Amino acid sequence: MTNEHSSAAQRAAFETAVLSNGMRVLVRPMPGFSGIHAVCGTAFGSVDLAFEANGRRVQVPAGTAHFLEHKMFESEEGDAFALYAKTGASANAFTSFDKTCYLFTCTDHFEENLAILLGLVSKPYFTAETIAKEQGIIGQEIKMYEDSPEWRLVFGVYGGLYGAHPVREDIAGTVDSIAQLTPQLLYACTDAFYSPGQMVLAVAGNVTLAQVVAAAEKTPFAKQTPQVHRLLPQEPAAVAVADSSIRMDVAKPLLGVGFKVAPPCEGAARLRAEMAAEVLVELVCGSMTPLYRTLYDENLAGPDFSGEVLSVPGAFSILFGGETEDPVRVHKLLMEEIDRLARDGVEEELFRLCKNQMYGELLAGLENVEDAATGLLSAWLRGRTPAEELEALAALTRQDVEHALHTMLTRQNSAVFTIYPRETQEADV
Amino acid sequence: MNDHISIAPGVNLTVLPAEQYCKSRITLDFLYPASRATATADALLALVMERGYAACPDMTQLSKKLAGLYGATLSVDTAVNGEMRVLRVTVTGLQDAFALQGEALGQACTDIALGTAFTPVMENGEISPEFVAIEKQQLRQQLEGERNDKRAYCLRQARRRFFGNARAGIEAYGYLEEVDGLCAKDVTQAFFTMLRTAQIDVYLQGIDGQMVAQKLRCALQGIQRTPCALAPACAMPAVPHKHFFEHTAVAQGKLCLLFTSGAPFCAQKLSAMRVAVAILGGTTTSRLFVNVREKQSLCYYCAASFSAMTGMLCIDSGVEHTNAARAMQAILHEWQALRTGEITEEELASAKRFLRTQLIAVNDSQGGAEAWWRAARLRGDDKTPAQVLNEVMAVTQADVHDALAPLTLSVSYLLAEEDMPHDE
Repeated sequence: MTNEHSSAAQRAAFETAVLSNGMRVLVRPMPGFSGIHAVCGTAFGSVDLAFEANGRRVQVPAGTAHFLEHKMFESEEGDAFALYAKTGASANAFTSFDKTCYLFTCTDHFEENLAILLGLVSKPYFTAETIAKEQGIIGQEIKMYEDSPEWRLVFGVYGGLYGAHPVREDIAGTVDSIAQLTPQLLYACTDAFYSPGQMVLAVAGNVTLAQVVAAAEKTPFAKQTPQVHRLLPQEPAAVAVADSSIRMDVAKPLLGVGFKVAPPCEGAARLRAEMAAEVLVELVCGSMTPLYRTLYDENLAGPDFSGEVLSVPGAFSILFGGETEDPVRVHKLLMEEIDRLARDGVEEELFRLCKNQMYGELLAGLENVEDAATGLLSAWLRGRTPAEELEALAALTRQDVEHALHTMLTRQNSAVFTIYPRETQEADV
Repeated sequence: MNDHISIAPGVNLTVLPAEQYCKSRITLDFLYPASRATATADALLALVMERGYAACPDMTQLSKKLAGLYGATLSVDTAVNGEMRVLRVTVTGLQDAFALQGEALGQACTDIALGTAFTPVMENGEISPEFVAIEKQQLRQQLEGERNDKRAYCLRQARRRFFGNARAGIEAYGYLEEVDGLCAKDVTQAFFTMLRTAQIDVYLQGIDGQMVAQKLRCALQGIQRTPCALAPACAMPAVPHKHFFEHTAVAQGKLCLLFTSGAPFCAQKLSAMRVAVAILGGTTTSRLFVNVREKQSLCYYCAASFSAMTGMLCIDSGVEHTNAARAMQAILHEWQALRTGEITEEELASAKRFLRTQLIAVNDSQGGAEAWWRAARLRGDDKTPAQVLNEVMAVTQADVHDALAPLTLSVSYLLAEEDMPHDE
């Protein structure tokens, strides 16, 4: 894959610099594109429920990072959306398990938009009144996700796998958890995680590194970087609840099967483990596999039945799931297929094709300004670059994946979660 | 600049610029009149076509073939837009320059796209009964599962009341009660009707146009075609507002309001309508977002959209059960205020700036560029994003009022634990 990767590596190339205030800047110039996408992120996500900042321990309720994300758009002068409206940029933000990101897309007025973005992340402003108002809006968002069977399935499985790790909590928290938030708690979080030395600015599109640096240096944002330590609870090796279910308003059952894996060390080991797990997922139930074909042709599951990998600080797992008429049978078939692969080994041809497919997917992530900037930022916050991700994929061997199969997909570390329609009787799983 | 190659009557090929991408894309659009009688067979046809084609009849082998082309993808989808059905075959892959050993990836992707589009797997003159039987079950699953996504389900239910039996309301994915009765003959007929009557539009990005033109001409050889003209925009007549309620155990209620333009929407007013929708509920500074969500905390989302092909304006919202009546009142208040009231210069300018960003960036994604030209084709215009931008920048308050004037509320649909009081 040498030639292929040299072309791909060019596509994945970026430039970087550190601002005078300590903020890391990553830029991928994309000639021929009209737009510019900028993302400013910090490694503060929903799993960060306890941390130590400059020796002081802070405990926050579930949903804090996401709540903060909403509140950062507000300042004493008004909200940032109104400022973006004056430039025509589209703005948004998102929170995941391990990061919070603020972003905009524009076709002009880049300097002004960047000033708005850096202004909003550098000037937290919280009052009891504005927090109360946001609790109502986020309460509605939480309810919206409560109605999503796919969302409930994911957190149902994580709840089964993890007894203590905060990945089991919904990213937005609960109505009760966010009711505990105060301005003091939110300021403690911004003091700990929103200094320029901890933030990364990634920009992709019709722009150069020099332009980004020059624009960013104009926004005053100086703050000492505190000493911060994440405090994660001790998570037992065993799963918390091996089998659980709920009922909700769905047309047919949904099955989720998770496998809890000992978290790999950070850095290259984590990247290798992620790549092996991603390929493994494809080898078990991707569209080229016998299991997929059986599920599809016997009408046991649709094309949405798939797998995904979770890799966040302190937690690593593989999840398979989707809608199915017969969760018991599908669970059985899934486990049998894993046993078969463990027994017979991974077919070389299928392994090569899965790698090819992932290569195409990684390249597709470089094809628009939004994905390019977000991918750059996500990789950097995990201590790597998109080119290193491509290299890790190229270096992956069938033996790596077989090793992952034996160590990651074990019955004793799996948990099942099923969603049944309200009307039907629960089956014995 | 786009390049156009005319292949045959009713068959057009458009080559869109793609120098900035490493991916390539070929799409064949089949545009033909939507039919209620064959709606479910038309929907099933898309699933059957995606499963395999004559030269690669096994779905697992097809997946492997795509993966071997560095993760190429194939999708066959179907939609109803206005009174036309659009069946779309898309293959994305890598451009030849990114191939490992100089493979002709564009050609391989073209072969898959054309094979899928023109040579389904046949047995004894009919589309494979085995394919049809398996994909019927998939279609059934898809239709049965529609209520899982409550927002989309509420919108679909509202649309059903809004369109009634009109052609524009034909279900893209067909009708559950008809699935079991379908056989290979029905799907075969649907395929040949499509082949005979459809306007075929091909969009290319990062693939050689002449090579595709030649292969396309070969694929069309021997096919007797009488392409139908595209149906013009339509609209449901104005009717007194009807409210519908469906009891559902959901954490968050869903409210959908549908308005009709009464008569086919005048294409010249589309730019004014784009501005109107942006001001009403298209952005995070829109009136619905700021006043209904942010100031009154009556919902989590509240967004507006407009379909030029059906003259239908949609406002949908996620609401607290007990707030549904207040949310609807607040939405209608904002609607009325925009229709006839003052629009500040800043609001107008802000909406235009937002649209400007969107329009300038149309060509920043392959799917976006293709969607632009597909929508323009269905409307019967060929305006570039730059031309539309000029129109948008010239829109005045009077233009916005004029665009909104014919619209009246036809249907409201509430999906919640309890209905709102009837006098609201």
